Amino acid sequence: MMRAEPWQTAEVCGPTKAQELKKPVVVGALLKKAKHPLLIVGANALTEKTRKKSMIDYFIELSTAAKIPVVATSNTIKAFKEKNFDNVYSHGVMEIAGKLQDPDWMVAPKKGPHDLVMTFGYPYYMEWLMLSALINFAPQIKTITLGRYFQPHATWSFPNLKKQKWNDALKEILSILGGTK
Amino acid sequence: MTEQKRARIKADKLDTGFGSFRNVEVTIGKVIDEDWDEPMGPTPMPGVTTLRDWDHKLLTKYEPSYMPACQLCCLCTFGKCDLTGGKRGACGLDIKAQSARIVLAACNIGCAAHLAHARHLVDHLIHEFGPRYQLTQGEGVDIEAPVSRLVTGIRPRTLDDASSILDYCETQLTHTLSAVHTGQEGSWIDFESKAFHAGMVDQVGMEIADLVQISTMGFPQSDPEAPLVEAGMASMDQSKANILCIGHNVVPAAAITDYAMEHNLQNKLDVSGICCTAWDITRHDAKAKIVGPISWQLRFVRSGIADVVVVDEQCIRTDIAQHAQKVNAPVIATCDKSCMGLPDRTNDDVDDIVADLVSFKVPGVFIGDHNKVGEVVVKTAIAVKPKRKGKTSLPSKKKIQELAQACRQCSECRRACPNDQPIMEAVLAAQEANFGPLGDVYDECIGCARCESACPNEYDLHSWMVTAAKDRWMNESYLVRTGRGAIKDTEIRAVGQPVVFGEIPGVIAHVGCANYPDGGRAIHDMCEEFAQRRFIIVLSGCAAMTVGTIKDDEGKSIYERRSGHFDAGGVVNVGSCVSNPHIAGAAIKIASIFAKRNLRGNYEEIADYIHNRVGAVGISWGAMSQKAASIASGFWRLGVPVIVGPHGAKYRRMLLGRADRAKDWMVYDARTGNEVQIAPGPEHLFYAVENMEECMVLTAKLAIRPNDTARGRAIKLSHYIDLHERYKGYFPDDVHTFIRRETDIPITLKDKIHAQMKENKWKERPIPDPTLLKRMVFGGNGGSK
Repeated sequence: MMRAEPWQTAEVCGPTKAQELKKPVVVGALLKKAKHPLLIVGANALTEKTRKKSMIDYFIELSTAAKIPVVATSNTIKAFKEKNFDNVYSHGVMEIAGKLQDPDWMVAPKKGPHDLVMTFGYPYYMEWLMLSALINFAPQIKTITLGRYFQPHATWSFPNLKKQKWNDALKEILSILGGTK
Repeated sequence: MTEQKRARIKADKLDTGFGSFRNVEVTIGKVIDEDWDEPMGPTPMPGVTTLRDWDHKLLTKYEPSYMPACQLCCLCTFGKCDLTGGKRGACGLDIKAQSARIVLAACNIGCAAHLAHARHLVDHLIHEFGPRYQLTQGEGVDIEAPVSRLVTGIRPRTLDDASSILDYCETQLTHTLSAVHTGQEGSWIDFESKAFHAGMVDQVGMEIADLVQISTMGFPQSDPEAPLVEAGMASMDQSKANILCIGHNVVPAAAITDYAMEHNLQNKLDVSGICCTAWDITRHDAKAKIVGPISWQLRFVRSGIADVVVVDEQCIRTDIAQHAQKVNAPVIATCDKSCMGLPDRTNDDVDDIVADLVSFKVPGVFIGDHNKVGEVVVKTAIAVKPKRKGKTSLPSKKKIQELAQACRQCSECRRACPNDQPIMEAVLAAQEANFGPLGDVYDECIGCARCESACPNEYDLHSWMVTAAKDRWMNESYLVRTGRGAIKDTEIRAVGQPVVFGEIPGVIAHVGCANYPDGGRAIHDMCEEFAQRRFIIVLSGCAAMTVGTIKDDEGKSIYERRSGHFDAGGVVNVGSCVSNPHIAGAAIKIASIFAKRNLRGNYEEIADYIHNRVGAVGISWGAMSQKAASIASGFWRLGVPVIVGPHGAKYRRMLLGRADRAKDWMVYDARTGNEVQIAPGPEHLFYAVENMEECMVLTAKLAIRPNDTARGRAIKLSHYIDLHERYKGYFPDDVHTFIRRETDIPITLKDKIHAQMKENKWKERPIPDPTLLKRMVFGGNGGSK
């Protein structure tokens, strides 16, 4: 399935919808252009894998390679801390959706306000709503979703992908950013 | 004026010099309630803007974060209007105000549902008992209606008083509803203020609804030992005729059990309920049974156990008549709000109606006369049972396996599932006679059947899950404590001080619907966790049922294990949706009984007291409805934080504090008039959590209040730190913000906290007598709000 339409059938949005991420290289280009990107990871990352790699390990690699701070919501932070990963901050998912609407807010002092946010690891509807907050009330921020399913409220999102294609895309993104393959 | 009420004289027959009259009812002017010596507060019967300043204080501290479900507005013929990118609609609203307008619309709808319910109850009971019938919550409750007293300044002592209070509520709702119209309100903050107003009015309406039914219908009256009643699908005696009542308004269900008792037919019948009617019918008759929460409607009807389905109002599956028809179970609609397209047989002869239903000539009827409902339903159930022979619409496993072969693997079932359950994968497993995955989906299914509507093969997928899990639900039986009603004044007297000082670390209310993200076990686990930590756990509605479904190793439910007293470690079921104001009422009564604050027409002061002193937290893990929105709104205006489960994010607006902005956390010290920095507590007023783990940590944190004593603060911090370490895996880095003096530090954690305090250059702060209202400063230092 390669459809750029909401995974949950009724979750249509308004006049605008996300651009389809057809090539992972776009993510690399966007990250290079961004001054203060942020990666937000939810608790579904605790149980999901890409190939045999846990999503926590994947995001640690991605964060390290691209020097992106991570916000781990709820108990997700425990998994990062257990792997002695330090560039991680704890905020609730609704908190981070609220704080990012403040153009002066930043995850840590001197890091600078964020201009690009990547998200992963939430129930589909919850991510949909979080992205709705950002697209409507944080116009200074571009968003990329890294999950398998199309999120119309993102700025860029994968279309609904089969697992294999999604695995390939994640691998390529990591490779572009200089992480391990 | 608010202390006035009408006097009525009613006579069956009146002989006068002018002639003889029958059924005369005369209203004679007004009578002053002279017995009540409590002075009237500043805001009796507040209008829409009376408490606007208070609302704006809260809404500035907890600014809304909107997450629009739709970027368009299509409410008028100017539209559709595109509200993206800062654009305004033809009426002038931007997306922020439009989002707030949607919040108000939801609260209005919820408030209307409860108010209409209350109005029906009051009118019906006045008809049955007369307007002067005395109201009571039972022994040990002098403050019989704290919310009504607080808001209206009236003590509802009779059904007529209750009616007068509803007059006020209905007027207010008309105003808040009108504000949603095109070209009325234009500001997000004022839409939100009106949503708070609708929520407050809703609390009054619900309180009246429960008060009048408690007073007249034989319910437990503030009884901590309210009966344990049977629940679960296996609790039905299938050798008897089974009557299922769905909804919230107990009057028709009560007419059924009353008729059965009066005609000595109880041994031939089992009467059960789903959703809040279940609670209230067991409060009326403890022999009645509870099937389960709102989400169990389809599974139970399709099982064929119910011989007759009776619907009253609210949260009913609107297609329930079609599903009942498939199992030859006649449907009786009883409420003018939900006639279900059925023919009105209110004025027909009972035996004619029964004959038509038993012969399946009609699938169901609408009957607006509740006494007639009782007779029709009982007679129909007994007569139709042998004809139905337990007809079910659940397919056999063999049939499922056969049908599953033609699955198109389109994933539409999964895409339609609110919980993204792997339904298609389960269907594919069923092709190989592996029904385990379908059974697993059942455990997390909320019973919406959207998968069925989406399936191009028109599979009855929900039924497939129910069949796959039959071994489980056929043995599902447990005991739950039915709703006790109000909290006694004596209980409040006992716990008021430890709650306000923080030594009982908080009061946690689990309320609301069954739209759970992953089954209902989380509610039970949260209740048990916090009861063990000596919080007071209060429950109502479907949440209160779900909590009882989990048994311990000895086969006991939480209600069997724990006390129903409003005390540390207690698990207290107050009852149905309309019992929720007993929870708000308990907080209000703490202000009245423990702190001796006047309640009467004194909303702002009491809300300020509760917000700063009473560590109450509301949780609605499966919040689904507009009623849940308005219930939450009633708590917000009292300054009580509410957490919802993940699906609650779909209310599309959070009320978030900013712990990192010190200026947001200032209060007046009522003793000195000085503005004082406080810790960010409660940090949020409305918050959707991602999962149970986040909920556990946040609940403990939101119980923190500025007024906590040193001991209370230390206790609350110990719980917060412990849960944070357990679920987040590290010592929380914000503990120092909650330390005012050395004595606030939990003794066993002194070293870690000292280190954090040093690192953050901590300075001692005073413990204020906290208030957001300048006029509450002693000696009149302020004089204005």
